[in-house]
Amino acid sequence: MKQILQRALRVRELPISVFLVLVVLATGSTNHAFFTLSSLQDVLLGVGIIATLAVAQTLVIVMKHIDLSVGSTIGLTAYILGASSSWGHDIWWGLGVSLSVGLIVGALNGFMVAYLKLPSLVVTLATLYIVRGVFNEIAGGDTITEDRVPRAINFLGLNRFYGIPLIFLIAIALMLLVGFVMRRLRAGRDLYAIGSNLQAAELAGIPVARRIFGAFLATGAISGLAGVLLLARFNAADANSGAGLELNVVAACVVGGVAIAGGVGTVYGAVIGAVLLQTITLALGALGVAQFWQLTVNGILLISAISLDRYLSSRVKATTIMGSSK
Amino acid sequence: MKKFNFAWEHGVVIFLIAVIGIGSNLSPYFATTDNLSFVLQDIGEIAIIALAMTYLIIAGEIDLSVASSLNLASAALGFAFRNGVPFEISILIGLAVGLVCGVINGFLVTVVGLPSLAVTIGTLALFRGLAYALLGNEPVNELPEDWVNLGFTNIPNTFLPWTIIPIAVLGIVAWVILHHTKIGRWTYAIGTNAQAAKFSGIPVARMKFALFAATGLMSGVAGVVYTLRFASASPDGAVGYELNVIAAVLFGGVSIAGGVGALWGVLASVLSLGAIRSALQLADFSANALLIVSGALLLVSVVVPRAIVILKSRRKSVVAKK
Repeated sequence: MKQILQRALRVRELPISVFLVLVVLATGSTNHAFFTLSSLQDVLLGVGIIATLAVAQTLVIVMKHIDLSVGSTIGLTAYILGASSSWGHDIWWGLGVSLSVGLIVGALNGFMVAYLKLPSLVVTLATLYIVRGVFNEIAGGDTITEDRVPRAINFLGLNRFYGIPLIFLIAIALMLLVGFVMRRLRAGRDLYAIGSNLQAAELAGIPVARRIFGAFLATGAISGLAGVLLLARFNAADANSGAGLELNVVAACVVGGVAIAGGVGTVYGAVIGAVLLQTITLALGALGVAQFWQLTVNGILLISAISLDRYLSSRVKATTIMGSSK
Repeated sequence: MKKFNFAWEHGVVIFLIAVIGIGSNLSPYFATTDNLSFVLQDIGEIAIIALAMTYLIIAGEIDLSVASSLNLASAALGFAFRNGVPFEISILIGLAVGLVCGVINGFLVTVVGLPSLAVTIGTLALFRGLAYALLGNEPVNELPEDWVNLGFTNIPNTFLPWTIIPIAVLGIVAWVILHHTKIGRWTYAIGTNAQAAKFSGIPVARMKFALFAATGLMSGVAGVVYTLRFASASPDGAVGYELNVIAAVLFGGVSIAGGVGALWGVLASVLSLGAIRSALQLADFSANALLIVSGALLLVSVVVPRAIVILKSRRKSVVAKK
């Protein structure tokens, strides 16, 4: 019995999934309205953006890196998509530019981290500032309002497929795609190898620099295209869009078992982490707890999640900023 | 004769001088005492927290929760005062709350053994949430005038703002400890190689715990300064300051990998960021330019040392081949 339990606990996503179910049950039994379809849809609608960014972030966190620039990138591309019609372009132009912006930011981050071997925390903090600065310069005080949002994007935000918000479905599709790459393809497996032991990965002949560059490029591209989701969800964008999202995204990953120390975690966990954080936000509302407790609970949750992880694994020896030196 | 080694910090000082030169050319108002006193006030909180963050990053750790700790300290001060506690005691409560924030971080990192990046993202949310819980959505604005005046007036008969006093005193203390005591050398040793430090008898865990606690306390001090300067304690103050502090420390020549850095470089960096901000404002640049400049400086601070290393190693290998 004990062995089964121990093996089950080794599925990294298990504790948090159980916790998610408990939160839903506990909230639902106090306030039955929480079980309704519409509140489920609220959770799924709200979680799409963070889930998408968390999937992208997982790619870099398993390599023991981090990308803080995603909040600036997604905000910029959401604005560009919204403004493209007033600039006299169609939505395809907007999508192309969004993807390009994501690729450029990702390539810059990736080049500096992979080939110049600079710390990703510093590099992406710098690009966070630079992209936000460029963004504010472009946007100024302009606000994209509902009437300027392209029809197709509006459609994406409002509609459901068999009751499931389209935004969430996109996030799930992306999760499955990236999940497959990370589990089954060599390039994806290499990311885990790089994160668990960089030197060993180099000695094993893994093209480390190319993989790191590729992962940052993919993270940038996904964050760029995720601007569509941000615009679709809020039907609005301005110079502040996406500000501060990066820490929520990292929090979702960490809660979902993607260790900052690298080498472990899956995109499924990251998405469950995002869903849990969003569910708790809404659950607190359903329980009549004031909104501001949400931040406190999120913080406690994050710390509990990593403490539990620390307790369950004895691999980690000494701590550093990014976790362990093994 | 001792060979003069050009360090990154010298570059930062030259940069500061250049900014002052350019700023004076851009606007006649830049080099006035009024503006100097404004800049010194403006950098207050960042400078105070940066002093502690320098130690922490040199020791190989990081604290992203400093802005939330600052804000929680400010909120606690306001909350206590609103509930009838004398203002002087309220200040002490604010400082104590800052210290407790640091102790919590230190406990989670050194006793529980969690990575500081993840822990302090968690406490960033936690402390901010607690500030909202304390104050609700109502900021505390009715603070005693005598105290609040300290936040934005100058020391009589000088152009120096009162806030220069905590910066100067704490700056000197931090400089002496980091560069002239055992604790300072331990900090570098831990950041260079924590395991080697442990084997040579340095109480690594206790040191890191103390550094986190000190960073919390400094955030508390910054919280008090912030409250006085804005004459208000509100739950949504100082959002995002943590990244400004870290950017300033890193541009000042402290390596994120630990073990490298000097306090005067960080102070020069904080000053130059403040000077740039003022120069850009006076020259009617938008605030966006400041974001771009901060980001670019941060990049320069990692790219240049790295480029020097690469160039040196190339030259070496060329020499070796000959």
